[in-house]
Amino acid sequence: MKPIIIDNHQEDREITLWRELLAGNVSSFEQLIDRTYDLLFQYGNKFCRDRELVKDCIQDIFLEVWEKRNALNHNIPPRAYLLASLRRRLHRVTQRNRLQPVEDFSPEGSQFDVEFSAEYQFIQTEQDQQIASRITTLMNELPKRQKEAVYLRFFHDLDREEIAAIMDIHPQSVSNLLQTAFKFLKTQWKAIISVAIFFRFLA
Amino acid sequence: MDQYHNFTLEEFVWDDSFRNWVLRPTREDDEKWQTWLVENPEKKALIESARQLVAAISPKEAPLSSQEKKSAVSRIISRSAEEELLPYPAVTPWYEKSWLSIAATVLLMIGLGWGIWFNNQRTVVDYEELVAASTDQLMEKVNSTGKPLSVKLEDGSTVKLNPGSRISYPAGFKSGKREVYLSGEAFFDVAKDPANPFFVYANEVVTKVLGTSFFVRSYTNEKEVSVAVKTGRVAVFTRNDPALDIKKNSRELSGVVIEPNQQIVFVRETVKITKSLISKPELLEKSTLHHNFEFDDAPVSVVFSTLQKAYGIEIIYDKNIMDECPVTAKLTELSLFEKLDLVCKAVDASYEMIDGRIIIEGKGCKMN
Repeated sequence: MKPIIIDNHQEDREITLWRELLAGNVSSFEQLIDRTYDLLFQYGNKFCRDRELVKDCIQDIFLEVWEKRNALNHNIPPRAYLLASLRRRLHRVTQRNRLQPVEDFSPEGSQFDVEFSAEYQFIQTEQDQQIASRITTLMNELPKRQKEAVYLRFFHDLDREEIAAIMDIHPQSVSNLLQTAFKFLKTQWKAIISVAIFFRFLA
Repeated sequence: MDQYHNFTLEEFVWDDSFRNWVLRPTREDDEKWQTWLVENPEKKALIESARQLVAAISPKEAPLSSQEKKSAVSRIISRSAEEELLPYPAVTPWYEKSWLSIAATVLLMIGLGWGIWFNNQRTVVDYEELVAASTDQLMEKVNSTGKPLSVKLEDGSTVKLNPGSRISYPAGFKSGKREVYLSGEAFFDVAKDPANPFFVYANEVVTKVLGTSFFVRSYTNEKEVSVAVKTGRVAVFTRNDPALDIKKNSRELSGVVIEPNQQIVFVRETVKITKSLISKPELLEKSTLHHNFEFDDAPVSVVFSTLQKAYGIEIIYDKNIMDECPVTAKLTELSLFEKLDLVCKAVDASYEMIDGRIIIEGKGCKMN
């Protein structure tokens, strides 16, 4: 299975689009929305299962960008900026709903929640399938903030500084979150490997 | 690439450069790793395992169809264009625009002007017009019997239709919103589904809920339309509200929000909505068991907060002045207003209902 090759560097393209949109270019604005929409939607959905609410919030943050485009910084990475704005907005909206409790909104609505899973048809050997199953179980046991950092770092390729901006914490805290997560995965991993080896002997 | 010689399976799985090659490969990445594999053929099986693991493990993501995304993106673009029209001057001067677009603009403005005029002329909206204007395929139930008729909707909601009333609803709701049209009187018990808000169009009044139970009375030949809530919260607004679309589409309940034991009454002639308490407020269902309405020398603030919780109605009073007042009373069997009459009499105060809330006025009980 050969990977699909992506030629141009995503991030550079987004920064270009960002600058063009800040200068008032509607077509660049549209392209940037199109490129980042899936990620924003997926990320937002981890805080709030109400997809219409997430879509409304994404719309609001883009409209705000457009409205304030004269005042925004040309040099910030747009992806992280948009994710951070969406996260803040979702918190604000769900917080407000929590203050005046409406039975239709879940009170724990603004916590990051994700479930990791494995697609076993991609894995050939039974031994690797066992490993995949154990890894996902362990990942799902991680605390929410560690999960969020892992999600952004390893599944959406955001770097430490960007994650710090998004989660509104110090970059060092991001490193700590990731290190704690990996310490946990690593110690448990040893157990996985020995189980896997055991199975190989049985086979 | 030397560091990779001693890498374990785990280290490969979580290595940035390795993951990027699997998930988001660039040409350079691919060349780099292919070359490394040629130089280290003994690692081939390990790399293959790691590659499969990286490709297979992923967070569960919510499905987003390309159609849904496309319409969301274009909505943002058109909304941003709308907002542009108001605060900023147009980017291109008008004389540089093609004549076609000017013609279209003029036409649109004429259309809008006519629409506004039309709306002002006709404030009374009735059921037949609403049903005729709907784009859904509607079914209609008419209750010509003498007893309430129960109607079950596709989403699990139930409607108790009173005699002489009619309701139109689609056989299946489209995603995004659930819309029904009512003439007459009905009690709605709406299945909870915040992603698909439920709308009742009753002549001029629109009621929006996310999942709750409430009562709508809207006879075409009556002067008033009213909505009362049993559980949950609903938002009510009029069809000619200038912000109708925003209120309908917003994820929060905006408009006049009413809560249990409150009602709104829309007077058709004056086009005015008022919020008030229903004539016989009931205990909130879930609170029936917990509340003890027997007070023995209790501060009046305790009595008020007990009532407030039990009926879900806000009671406003000056705590500084009233808190000294002690109350001894058994209120269990009484209605809310009887309770209030008694308590107010005991502490020499009076109450009035404003905007669906109860306001207590009193001089307090300090003896000095």
